[in-house]
Amino acid sequence: MTAVAETSETAEQAAFRDEAHAWLEGNAPRRRHDSSEFKRRVAATGPEDEQAHVEASKSWQRRIFDAGFAGISVPRDYGGRGDTAALERVWRQEVVRYEIDTGVFSVALGMVVPTLLAHGTEDQKRRFVPPVLRGEELWCQLFSEPGAGSDLAGLTTRAERDGDEWVVNGQKVWNSFAHLADWGILLARTDWDVPKHRGITYFLVDMHSPGVEPRPLRQITGVAHFNETFLTDVRIPADQVVGAVNGGWGVAQTTLMNERALIGGASPLGFRDYVELARHHGKTADPDIRQRLAAAYTRFQILRWLGQRAQAAARSGQALGPESSVAKLVISDHSAQNGDLALAIEGAAGMLSGRDAFESGFWQQQFLGQWGVRIGGGTEQVQRNIIGERVLGLPPERRPDKTEPFRSIPKNA
Amino acid sequence: MDFTLSEEQTAARDLAEQIFQGSVTPERVKAVEATDERVDRDLWAALADANLLGLCLPEAVGGSGLGLLELCLVLEAQGQVVAPVPLWATVVLGALPIAEWGSAEQRQAWLPGVVRGDVLLSAALAGPGTNDPHRPPVEARADGSGWRLFGLSVAVPAAHVADRVLVPARTPDGVGVFLVDPRGPGVTLERAITTNREIHPHLLLDGAPGEVLGSLDAGGRAVAWMVDRALLGLCAMQIGVCEAAVRLAADYTSNRVQFGKPLSAFQGVALHAADGYIQTEAIRVTTWQAAWRLDAGREATSDVLVAKWWASEGGQRVVHIAQHLHGGMGADVDYPVHRYFLWGKQIEDTLGGASAQLARLGQTLAGAA
Ligand SMILES: Cc1cc2nc3c(=O)[nH]c(=O)nc-3n(C[C@H](O)[C@H](O)[C@H](O)COP(=O)(O)OP(=O)(O)OC[C@H]3O[C@@H](n4cnc5c(N)ncnc54)[C@H](O)[C@@H]3O)c2cc1C
Repeated sequence: MTAVAETSETAEQAAFRDEAHAWLEGNAPRRRHDSSEFKRRVAATGPEDEQAHVEASKSWQRRIFDAGFAGISVPRDYGGRGDTAALERVWRQEVVRYEIDTGVFSVALGMVVPTLLAHGTEDQKRRFVPPVLRGEELWCQLFSEPGAGSDLAGLTTRAERDGDEWVVNGQKVWNSFAHLADWGILLARTDWDVPKHRGITYFLVDMHSPGVEPRPLRQITGVAHFNETFLTDVRIPADQVVGAVNGGWGVAQTTLMNERALIGGASPLGFRDYVELARHHGKTADPDIRQRLAAAYTRFQILRWLGQRAQAAARSGQALGPESSVAKLVISDHSAQNGDLALAIEGAAGMLSGRDAFESGFWQQQFLGQWGVRIGGGTEQVQRNIIGERVLGLPPERRPDKTEPFRSIPKNA
Repeated sequence: MDFTLSEEQTAARDLAEQIFQGSVTPERVKAVEATDERVDRDLWAALADANLLGLCLPEAVGGSGLGLLELCLVLEAQGQVVAPVPLWATVVLGALPIAEWGSAEQRQAWLPGVVRGDVLLSAALAGPGTNDPHRPPVEARADGSGWRLFGLSVAVPAAHVADRVLVPARTPDGVGVFLVDPRGPGVTLERAITTNREIHPHLLLDGAPGEVLGSLDAGGRAVAWMVDRALLGLCAMQIGVCEAAVRLAADYTSNRVQFGKPLSAFQGVALHAADGYIQTEAIRVTTWQAAWRLDAGREATSDVLVAKWWASEGGQRVVHIAQHLHGGMGADVDYPVHRYFLWGKQIEDTLGGASAQLARLGQTLAGAA
């Protein structure tokens, strides 16, 4: 296999692709579309499997760092390679071809690092970015609350100033990897007497500090990968505020935009994986399956071009914009349909689950994992509202909650 | 059919709803799921006491002699609470074919026990990679005056608790249906968990003795007859699953405040919920129509296929909507809505999903022209 270059690639990109390709070939097993063992590992659900997964992710991230491929677009001062976002993308295209899974670092690498680079202080960047790139510190996102999901700005976790520290009380929920994380990005309310978007502050919280208590929730996929997290009198040093006090909403937008892009590009599966699945089950001649495979191919294509368009925009220096909502919507539909396709290919056996199913239930997990894709990072409806209001310029729904003091807005009991 | 229920039918539905709703809670479902066999035996006994298991079995074996529509209403009530009992397997897959095609001795041997709640039954209608019971994965070989069966049936509902499994098998003279003891010689059961977390073991037959259901020459017709009813039963459960899922979503979004008002006050939510309702009613009318035609002794295969198409295509839309409207709550298995999603998917794909039904329907329609 040779590196597959994009059509419009610059000489620099092509050279980098060759370099990345050479390292990967020498250091990682190539991912075969019929590689059951890799899928089985990814689908593993027990607690000991989870620990093994974390260790494997950490050691891969460390090796990638040592080889100079971590944080490709992150400035050298913060441990990165100091190159462009375009090269970063080339790396991602290459790395998915190998059996490398650094999934538990997705929040840290995909959301925390870009947010800190955009809004963090010099000290914060120097303290927090390098350990992520070296695979040493895991992060989680403490945004959602039982009463604040789509309406994230409706959050009620409170932070109160006490000398050089903030004291935080409240409850978060659906926090992926919180039970494994060393650090969390946290949104809390610091002013109740202004409209809700203007009273939120963005914190970095040490997950090992007293009063932080994540409790794992079992997910529909069978994995205990998210948590409810209780925060009781948690003390956070004042220099761990990102951006301005009460300016957290703007900082959070950077995180959320990156989260959507991350989810948009997350699945390790390509079209070939589905063809291989159909081949394995003797379904490549089945006219219904062939049609659905062809439809899947059209989706893989559109996603590829959407990705390239975003890359071109990034090259010309445009910030990540509402196109992340488009990508997330397409991916949502894609993941729902691909889940159905995989189970249809498996036929009657597709109704089995867990270890009883083909490749230890990997495909059933992909099917059930559609909810993380469709709900996590802002639901499909929320993305549609963003497109309607911010792209098409449609008048927004009447929303008194945007302008009134947060204290006086109706909330969940 | 005029789609209004008779007094008898209303009574059957009310009784079934009373029993299912009265005893099945999300906690109970979870507790039963934690047991080895995953069958709610107490509920099963209550269904027997109310004579709901014998509702459409002949009076001669202790049943009430009512029709399929009445049975559908009971299955709907089961679907509403996703109750872990092998009703579809025992009554639809097992008892109905024995009542219709079995010998007098076979009826006496098994059906009174079904009515009393002592006997559980099932049928093996799927093979590896195939959902076509007319081409069964099992072969029957004559052995003296009896038969021995060879082959692998996958995901046989409740086979781990069933007293007999009806197995369609190929014989030199076409397909026959055989009664097999799943704990008898020549049978290996391999435990397997399905999408909706039930136990549907694989049945590996290696010379297992099989007793012909009724007479061998009924075989092919009996299989077609069984498939019609099996599909109908799935549709009926899907009505209940969908109805309850839409209800759950409507309640949830009416009580959850986001952006300063109940979620259901957003059109994006209300329109989705309404779509779910429309799909559910489509499943209901097509299912009842098919049940009515089968009860009236009319040709109904295409009606059944139409109903199963709606139950698959519409059903999965409904459970996706309900799941989606629950946001992150849907992904948390401590909250019950995900069960409706899993059941909806399970029913959708059992005996073939939407496109499989369309393929068969197309064959029926274009072939008839
Ligand atoms: C697998 C998974 C992982 C997650 N990981 C994290 C994490 O690591 N950290 C974290 O902080 N959060 C995480 N989340 C939470 C996620 O961000 C929220 O679930 C999501 O934002 C939706 O919020 P909600 O669950 O409260 O749903 P709700 O906001 O209650 O939404 C319920 C339904 O109403 C619809 N809806 C809401 N508002 C509108 C509207 N205005 N118009 C039309 N329809 C509307 C929604 O689309 C949805 O269908 C995760 C969620 C999942 C499923």
